[in-house]
Amino acid sequence: MSLAYDVIPVTIVTGFLGSGKSTLLADVLHGTAARDTAVLVNEFGEVGLDHLLLGAIDAQTVLLDNGCICCAIRSDLKDALASLFSRRARGELPPFSRVVLETTGLATPAPIIATLLADPLVAHHYVLNATVTVVDAVQAGYQRVRHPEWLAQVSAADRIVISKADLTDAATLDELHAQLLQINPAAQIVVRSAADDAEHLFAASQTVPDLGTIATRAGNAARRFEAEAAQAHTQARTAHAAPLAVPHAMSPPGDAHHLDDIASFCIEFDAPVEWPVFTLWFTLLLNRHGDNILRVKGLLAIAGTQQPVVVHAVHHLVHPVLHLDDWPGANRTARLVFITSGLTRAAVASSWQRFCRYLQPAESVH
Amino acid sequence: MCGMCGLLGGGRHWSNTVAPGAGANARRQRLVQVAHANRVLGLFRLRLDDFHGQSFVVSSPTGAREMADDLMQVWQAAEKMLGRPLDPLTLFIDEDEDAGNAIDGADARARS
Repeated sequence: MSLAYDVIPVTIVTGFLGSGKSTLLADVLHGTAARDTAVLVNEFGEVGLDHLLLGAIDAQTVLLDNGCICCAIRSDLKDALASLFSRRARGELPPFSRVVLETTGLATPAPIIATLLADPLVAHHYVLNATVTVVDAVQAGYQRVRHPEWLAQVSAADRIVISKADLTDAATLDELHAQLLQINPAAQIVVRSAADDAEHLFAASQTVPDLGTIATRAGNAARRFEAEAAQAHTQARTAHAAPLAVPHAMSPPGDAHHLDDIASFCIEFDAPVEWPVFTLWFTLLLNRHGDNILRVKGLLAIAGTQQPVVVHAVHHLVHPVLHLDDWPGANRTARLVFITSGLTRAAVASSWQRFCRYLQPAESVH
Repeated sequence: MCGMCGLLGGGRHWSNTVAPGAGANARRQRLVQVAHANRVLGLFRLRLDDFHGQSFVVSSPTGAREMADDLMQVWQAAEKMLGRPLDPLTLFIDEDEDAGNAIDGADARARS
């Protein structure tokens, strides 16, 4: 009966169509390592095939077809997870200790994470382990420009696994790596390698974000983008002056505009925040701009307690907040890293400052 | 649920989390949140009340009332009653400008 109260980690494996999600799973999920893993496969096509491709694996496999779990059949996901848990508790299934959820190539991870975190039944028995996004090294440039789902998948990732790296050259890989860091400086980026695939798939996401590194990456990405924009501007002027000049092959039309919308920035808090004020401001911000806030990660110092708080958010959704016993290093700077589309650092930071100025003097309510 | 008064615990929403430490109290924190929220909603003649530590009630001056489970739903209900968005990026800008004008005016008077 003790099984009924276990909390099972769920790893979401996402990635655009044909990026190699099923291949990654098929390569990892065999042998004894896979016996305690249950796999949920979601497919969008008329006839579900992915579960057949995974047929050789040793894990328990459930196919969720007839639609995409991020929109059309979210209740199916909930039912499948609940059913898996109850069958496991009754002893009808081996006592698996983790679940891998493979999404369709067109799914955006945020609604799936919402189901895991917000559904009362599911949230009590499952915990989100990590969101792993598989990125096709060959097609990434095209998919980034053409498909907004690709961007949602990359920006929601805790870990990005680059597949098909052997089909491209080192320069393209470096370029892709830099672009992925620019979009999601909070993610760990790895290249598929047979030896480390299982670790890449099952490792938990970093509970305490390394904000120093993330902030540096965000700053580097911003500087790099500014440099690229300046270079593009110079090239455009050169092209105007000399009509025969060939445009840069790596920059398809619309690319700069597309990346122009994505910004990652860091807001530092000089003083400990009043938690009730922060909750009001952050819920207001996510309610109105959640569609454009791809990711928020950070550590906050709270007034009245020595224990810092870890905040993780994806779009409208905030993960359960975590109170740490102490700061994870000598640097005690409280900061939030934002990855946004169309929101600027100045707008968000000045909004928080105005909120504090207006609400903090309300000592009478304490 | 509180063993003394039988009230429910405010739900699982992240904003109900109470930091461990001296003086931590979920009910007190909730009332502080409501008081702060009323300073925001008061600008639009709306009002927020706690409902048994479990939900919120948003009220308008025309008598409309709506239950909300958490703060996200509070803002959605308020926007519905107002018929326009509540954008934190523009909230209190007028108050900031008024304060700035008042300071400028005081400076000008001091100089004259």
